[in-house]
Amino acid sequence: MELQSPSRALLEADNLTKRYEDGQLALDHVNFAVAAGEIYAMLGGNGAGKTTTINLFLNFIEPTEGEARVDGIVTHRDPLAAKKKLAYVSENVMLYPNFTALQNLDFFARLGGRTDYSKDAYRDVLLRVGLQEEAHGRRLKGFSKGMRQKCGIAIAILKDAPAILLDEPTSGLDPKAAYEFIGLLDSLRGEGKAILMSTHDIFRARDVANTIGIMNQGKLVMQRSKQDLAGEDLEKVYVEYMAGYMDRETETV
Amino acid sequence: MFATLVEKELKSILLSPKFVATFAVCTVLILLSVFVGIREYKASIAEYETASQLSEQAVRSATSWWGVSPRVFRKPNPMQIFSAGVNNDIGRLSDISTWTDVKLRQSSYSDNTLFALFRFIDFAFIVQLVLSLFAILFTYDAINGERESGTLKLSFSNAVPRGTFVLSKFVGAWLGLTIPLLIPILLAVLLAMVMGVPMTGVEWSKLAMLIGVSVLYFTFFVMLGLLVSSLTKRSATSFLVLLVIWVCLVLIIPRAATMAAGQLVEVPSVAEVESQKDRFRTDRWDAFGKRRSEAWRERMAGAEGMSQDDRRDFMDNNREKWAQEDDESRQLMEQEIAENSRVVDEELRNRKAEQEQVAFRLARMSPASAYQLAATNLAGTNTSLKARYEDAMKAYRTAYAAFIADKRAEEQRKAREESSRNRSGMRITFGGGGDSPVDSSEMPRFEEPDQSFASALEPSLADLGLLGAFTVLCFAGAFIAFLRYDVR
Ligand SMILES: Nc1ncnc2c1ncn2[C@@H]1O[C@H](COP(=O)(O)OP(=O)(O)OP(=O)(O)O)[C@@H](O)[C@H]1O
Ligand SMILES: [Mg+2]
Repeated sequence: MELQSPSRALLEADNLTKRYEDGQLALDHVNFAVAAGEIYAMLGGNGAGKTTTINLFLNFIEPTEGEARVDGIVTHRDPLAAKKKLAYVSENVMLYPNFTALQNLDFFARLGGRTDYSKDAYRDVLLRVGLQEEAHGRRLKGFSKGMRQKCGIAIAILKDAPAILLDEPTSGLDPKAAYEFIGLLDSLRGEGKAILMSTHDIFRARDVANTIGIMNQGKLVMQRSKQDLAGEDLEKVYVEYMAGYMDRETETV
Repeated sequence: MFATLVEKELKSILLSPKFVATFAVCTVLILLSVFVGIREYKASIAEYETASQLSEQAVRSATSWWGVSPRVFRKPNPMQIFSAGVNNDIGRLSDISTWTDVKLRQSSYSDNTLFALFRFIDFAFIVQLVLSLFAILFTYDAINGERESGTLKLSFSNAVPRGTFVLSKFVGAWLGLTIPLLIPILLAVLLAMVMGVPMTGVEWSKLAMLIGVSVLYFTFFVMLGLLVSSLTKRSATSFLVLLVIWVCLVLIIPRAATMAAGQLVEVPSVAEVESQKDRFRTDRWDAFGKRRSEAWRERMAGAEGMSQDDRRDFMDNNREKWAQEDDESRQLMEQEIAENSRVVDEELRNRKAEQEQVAFRLARMSPASAYQLAATNLAGTNTSLKARYEDAMKAYRTAYAAFIADKRAEEQRKAREESSRNRSGMRITFGGGGDSPVDSSEMPRFEEPDQSFASALEPSLADLGLLGAFTVLCFAGAFIAFLRYDVR
């Protein structure tokens, strides 16, 4: 048995590069690592490459160069083994509209290899993500975006995988739910999960993340730990980095 | 995992609101069509029985074989309930006589042209049009719909092999759509049993086979839906594409193939053929008339210069010989005419068969045509039904002609004996040979054409194979397309 050291890197991007078929360089030699019990927040403007990074970890697309590793497994070499260790919440969760919340949860839990859950477990996790009990037996097609998002988060929790990928998980959540979600993330970190999250919410990122990375046009332009950022105005840093990167870009052109 | 995926697929089909509505429509349509089909069948069977009895009675009450002119009827076949094919287009009866050809006449559609315009809706029609549409309606978004709803991404964030996933789609969609459809089909079969349709073992096996072919045809459209769904990113696109394909396969190709065959292989019209036969017949009769007057002139020349009494004796002595000569000559001519009609008919038939083969070969590009051909072959209501009956009727006519010629000769002989006994100089009379009715039990009986299971299955094997091949191709295509499908 490998030693469960808290600093072990579960998610690693190693020179991760993606050029799409149309020639768009979406990701340019990105390097980072997320250890167990750590939250890594990716910030960056629209089209910066956050979703691309997450898709590479899930092997939805193959890297042009470099590799993404999950617990040491190179995802595009052995995607099935890697995915066993990954839970995922996509931006804009839709799920099966004709299934109830419980049916959706049950299906995806089984697909994740968890056949041992009881109905109570589903109920508990739905309550934990803040979905009222009256909604549990309702079909998803009547759900609001935020309610669906909660179900998506519940599904990721149920899989109980060591690493969690979250693509803008708080989009669509009301302020209360978003606030509670931060508490949820904190407790998941407490359970030793490695969490990679893309978000546009600078303040929540600052509150909860151990490390913050800022991406711009496919490059990781800044990466600093929470301690490192203490006392600084993250919003200012963000804007500065985006602008600074822009300046440098224009200089080289 | 496979079971989980199949279960999900089944649930998502059965729980979808469109399922209940579509399923109800299909059930009603199938049951209604079979119900109406059974009633039509029963009506035609009753009509068949009455008409056959009347015809038999007419034969039985005849007092001379000269007055006998039987009719044979096409016996309605229970399989026509499920696949009417050309059953309503072709005649129900033919007169059998020595001087006219066998010709099926009085079809249902000629009796009631309203039906000819709108046709009957039978089970095969519902499968061909409605169920194929049903299959498309439920599979057009099977893959790309899941991409659009993001469930494909979420599913593949788990350790799910793509092959397993796509196989579960096939199995789930197939089970979820086929099993419910078997319910109305079995109910329809039950209806046939309850309403007392006299089905023999052969017909049950034909029906079972027809249901099997229908399921295969339906499977093809399920696979087609999956194929197109896994080749497109958006469900709106795949729906449109499938609709276009459906229209081409079901509505355009079968008709276009027939039209193309009509252009490629020319077949003389019935009127042309009839006039050709008529011309030949008139020619021969004219020639025969001339020959006979010639013969009479010669015969009379033999009596030149005889006295009245000698002439009568000469006539009396030769009458029989001449009659025989004339008869032989006439028979020879009739044989020639018959032979000519046979040749002309055969040629027409060959041309038609050639045209049909071309049409079928072209039409089989579409599984809808292959299904229709297989269904009508199995039901025995295919395009060769008319030829099969006419062949059987012609065989009967030959047997009947031989029989009746014997009987008539016998009658004639008796009449002549009588007349010579009476020495009344009475001419040989046709008909009214005696006062007692003829013994109709001696008459040859009409035998229905071969309707064995093998004879129905054999011509449908090619179409079965084609349907299978189309289905496997779609399946393989969908499988491969999905292996490289972008789940995002
Ligand atoms: N399938 C694709 N083909 C071509 N280019 C793509 C494709 N997907 C994404 N891109 C491009 O890659 C770049 C990064 O996109 P990505 O979705 O990773 O951004 P993002 O950081 O998630 O943005 P957002 O905050 O808007 O979600 C963009 O410029 C986008 O246009
Ligand atoms: Mg994104």
